[in-house]
Amino acid sequence: MIAENTQTQMRKGILEYCILSIISRGEIYASDIIAELKRAQLLVVEGTLYPLLTRLKNNGLLSYNWQESTSGPPRKYYQITHEGNEVLQKLDVTWKELVFAVETSLQGRNESNN
Amino acid sequence: MNKTIIININSIVFHIEEEAYETLRSYMIDIKRHFGKSSDSQEILLDIENRIAEMFSEKIHAGRKEVISLDDVNHVISQMGKVSDFEGETEEDIYEQANANSESETHSHIPYSAPVDKKLMRNADDKIFGGVCSGLGAYFNMETKWMRLIFVCFFLFGGSGIMLYIILWIVMPVAVSRADKMAMKGESPTLQNFKKSFEEEIQGLNPHFSKAKSEIAKGTAAVGSGVSKVGRFFLRLIAFFILIVCALTLFGLAIACIGFITGVLGYQREMVFPGTEFLNTPQAIVALIAGTLAIAIPFFALFQLMLRILFRTQPLNHYFSLGLWATWISSIIAVVFFSFIGAQEFKESSTIKVEKPINAQKVYYISEKDVRLIEASEVDKNGKKFKIELNGEDLEYALRRDISINFESIDSLAKPYIQYNYFARGRTYQAATTNAAEINYLANQMDNKIIFNSHFGINPDKKYRDQSVSATLYLPVGSRVVIDKSIEYKLRDLSFWDCQRAYDSDEEVKSTEWIMGRTGLQCTPRFLPIEKKSDTEQTEAAVEDLVKQAEKHAKEAEEHARKVEEEANKLSERVAVTVQ
Repeated sequence: MIAENTQTQMRKGILEYCILSIISRGEIYASDIIAELKRAQLLVVEGTLYPLLTRLKNNGLLSYNWQESTSGPPRKYYQITHEGNEVLQKLDVTWKELVFAVETSLQGRNESNN
Repeated sequence: MNKTIIININSIVFHIEEEAYETLRSYMIDIKRHFGKSSDSQEILLDIENRIAEMFSEKIHAGRKEVISLDDVNHVISQMGKVSDFEGETEEDIYEQANANSESETHSHIPYSAPVDKKLMRNADDKIFGGVCSGLGAYFNMETKWMRLIFVCFFLFGGSGIMLYIILWIVMPVAVSRADKMAMKGESPTLQNFKKSFEEEIQGLNPHFSKAKSEIAKGTAAVGSGVSKVGRFFLRLIAFFILIVCALTLFGLAIACIGFITGVLGYQREMVFPGTEFLNTPQAIVALIAGTLAIAIPFFALFQLMLRILFRTQPLNHYFSLGLWATWISSIIAVVFFSFIGAQEFKESSTIKVEKPINAQKVYYISEKDVRLIEASEVDKNGKKFKIELNGEDLEYALRRDISINFESIDSLAKPYIQYNYFARGRTYQAATTNAAEINYLANQMDNKIIFNSHFGINPDKKYRDQSVSATLYLPVGSRVVIDKSIEYKLRDLSFWDCQRAYDSDEEVKSTEWIMGRTGLQCTPRFLPIEKKSDTEQTEAAVEDLVKQAEKHAKEAEEHARKVEEEANKLSERVAVTVQ
């Protein structure tokens, strides 16, 4: 259970970061975000994505505009805001720190194991 | 061949198979339940619905088909994710876990520990006819088969089970959504339970359709809808009947109220509500209106309810219904209050006794004068407007006829008289006495005729206080009395009817003859010899009586004499002894 909790928490933090990164590349549709995440082997169902996107949008990190679709209702295309970019840069820094921290501790463990 | 349903997701129309629709519907209900708590639920739900609509459109374009199947829906759900997949990934859970994961733990570890209120619903997933038994089983924590057995037993006892089943079928709602089903089983609507229920359904899906039972179920479904239609028709019929009864009652109450009020105001005397005469006029009107409202408002409420059931009219305005409640309660209070006031006026009673001598006659002709009948010659008004008077007073008076007439015997030499007892009630003894004193009622003697008025009057302002008059004629023994039929109903101790029959006459007997005996009036038709015979019989009996008494006295005297003699003998013996 503790492992599960930690896993969930880890994935949760990374998910937001990944989504922001994907969107920062340009206007993108929700199902395309999913496709990207799947390609990155971060398994997510679409139902999880919408609350996240809504929250990021409400925090001012994202914005969207409606675009006509050939197959069905108009789609919401998301794009990153200026504020979102700032947050992303901060997250980039944090991520590098984390990677360093994790790598360092992993190294230490591997060494002690060896 | 499958039935399809037309649905509309964000104004795009889809044809969808029935099973697929049910699955989609309960999925959407679950999703709404899941996101309902968060503040952005509206937007999230809209996004999800849009996406589902888009995926459906893609399916239709890709598959070159027109109808969404169950497979399509299941595919969409797997892509969108079950509610159970959202767990631990949404804002709520972040929040919950940040909060020292106390709440989420109670949710995940003991999900069934807190039973919620169960709802009595029909279980559509496990049914033979209407799912009544399985619903009852879930409600009473019984296996469905036992519940079915009970119903079969009921059916064997005079078929009462069928009636009960049909009533329950009509009354119990069917559990449609997953939330309903969980409420039916008494599970709390947590995510885990949703997940469990969903998985149960997925597992139960295939065996369910393979069961032969489902064939029976389909066959009876048509009968079932027929039964509930007939039931609904009867219920509507009953509701309509109640509606009409209520309307007529309200109408009748309105008429009665108006009638009684005119009665109180004195416009008519035929319709006076019993009891209102105890009160003065304004009080009586208020009491009548309050009484009418106290009865009418519940009927009105019932009327309104039936209207709503039958014609789906709008419920009453909130303030209006609140006002009705208040009016109803105050009417009841008013009725109780006026009943109390009315009763107070009758608390004490008083009787005034008056003796009036009458002239001794050989024969007394007792008759009644109807005061409501005016003899024009008597009044002599030259054919002009007649004025009704009673004892010289205007008949603005309310007429009362609580008059009784009795006869008592007195010594043959005593002077005859009439004793009047005027009786009335009141709030105090003083008031009762005043009320009694206000009764003005005396018989008129014209030579050998004694005429009693049919009524006595009481001032309308004084109101009814149970006033009554009892007149007792004390007549010497041997007086002859002729009683007119008109006064028959005023007699209390005598039976005019019995005496009338003693006449053996085909003609109508207008009056009866009586003679005052020592014990009261004796019926003596036409004062004929029979009565003399009876009179002599009476005297003979009296003589016999006297003889017997005399004999008794003689015996006593004899006894006494014997005793005295014995005493004397003893004494003389003693004297003799002492002398010796």
